[in-house]
Amino acid sequence: MEKQMENSNPVYKNKSYGQYREMLYSYDENGNFQKSVSYHGEPDRVVLEQAWDLFNERAEEAKQKVLAGKVSPIAYYMEKILADPMGLSMMAGVSLWKVKLHCKPFFFKRLSDRTLTQYAEAFNISMEQLKNFEHLTGK
Amino acid sequence: MTELNFEHRQAGHCESGVTSNLLNYHKLSLSEPMAFGIGAGLFFSYLPFLKMQHAPVTSFRVWPGMVFSRTTKVLGIKTHIYRFRDPKASMDKLDEVLAQGFPVGLQVGTFHLPFFPPEYRMHYNMHNMVVYGKTDDFYLISDTVMEQKVRISYDDLMRVRFAKGAFAPRGRMYYPYSFPSSFDLKHAIIKGIRKTAGNMVRVPFPLIGTKGIRYLAKQMRQWPEKLGEDKASYYLGQVLRMEEEVGTAGAGFRFIYGTFLDEAGTFLKQDWIKEVAVEMGHTANYWRQFSYLGSRNCKKRSGPGQSFDELADMLMECADREEKIFRNLVKIR
Repeated sequence: MEKQMENSNPVYKNKSYGQYREMLYSYDENGNFQKSVSYHGEPDRVVLEQAWDLFNERAEEAKQKVLAGKVSPIAYYMEKILADPMGLSMMAGVSLWKVKLHCKPFFFKRLSDRTLTQYAEAFNISMEQLKNFEHLTGK
Repeated sequence: MTELNFEHRQAGHCESGVTSNLLNYHKLSLSEPMAFGIGAGLFFSYLPFLKMQHAPVTSFRVWPGMVFSRTTKVLGIKTHIYRFRDPKASMDKLDEVLAQGFPVGLQVGTFHLPFFPPEYRMHYNMHNMVVYGKTDDFYLISDTVMEQKVRISYDDLMRVRFAKGAFAPRGRMYYPYSFPSSFDLKHAIIKGIRKTAGNMVRVPFPLIGTKGIRYLAKQMRQWPEKLGEDKASYYLGQVLRMEEEVGTAGAGFRFIYGTFLDEAGTFLKQDWIKEVAVEMGHTANYWRQFSYLGSRNCKKRSGPGQSFDELADMLMECADREEKIFRNLVKIR
């Protein structure tokens, strides 16, 4: 898992992306409803990639901000697991206003180990990784 | 170690597929569109105050769990539905039910589901699948999205069953256990159609049914000015993702529903329902066209014909057609 998390996004454009066939129904000119099993059509692919591109973009942006010291690693990992503050607050069991505060470096630095563990579990990483952000994303 | 003789059939929509497969195991053959129609699965709602993946929620289906509960209720099948606080207790209960010889339907979150197609691994907690057996290390899964049967480890299963976030499944599991000696399928079909039609045209609330489609169309015209081109195109993408993505079998369930109407017309021996089914098929193709043109817009390669105004016009047309269909269907006897 840790190794996957190093990449920009764990699942997007990995080797099994787009390799699954799903069942689709359709209606032809002769007036019959039909079932078929096929890969993604063009529209599906476009809208899915649009979403994944946005997630990657947001994560990358957050990463730059963390390296610049503007936001805390929490904000970055939150984007990485495709969550918003509300979703993260549900996943980690921390209230929403606290999540928003913890996205600021000032409040992140004084977090207790207990809260950090809660976040780390939600992100599926170890507490050390969460604390030592520079090592993970360094050149 | 248990393994039930469960027949895996791939399906377009997870929940109606699971319902159909579960009933099929108990010797009640009900096709997937039939389960979808009787369970009144078709719906439309646009919820701008609820954000999912950074864009408003558009839903083409009813609340998760409704298809199964409605279908079994109207057919007089007795079911058990459980939710849990404690993950351990939920797994123990699952083992117990499997040992009794019932395949079990589960509601899970897709984000941590290891066998799931990677493109769909977003936070979506309303996915359904069936557990039909257990070996020493693995649970045997029949997931209607996949072509083959799959398996999953104990820890992974516990994790997806207790996925957190919006609509958390909380270990929801369900299975039918007692069947009546005879079924009134005719009554069930009529009730299902009337329920769906009522949901689509008779609910006095602007965000639901055909009114919801019109509201979305009106909002869509304002998106480019209100949000800017990028965000507007992302919002449009969200609508299309909900319409075409996993579990809708194309065009926001309209194809499945058309298939159901076709089957229902044959079963009830009412020809006018078959005519409505044809209408539904054309409407579904129109939705398909909408998503095709919409996706051109998302790709930022839109010509003059794919502006938000034109797309909104198409949505309005969809709403008109569906209103006509469901005003017709609501009169079913």
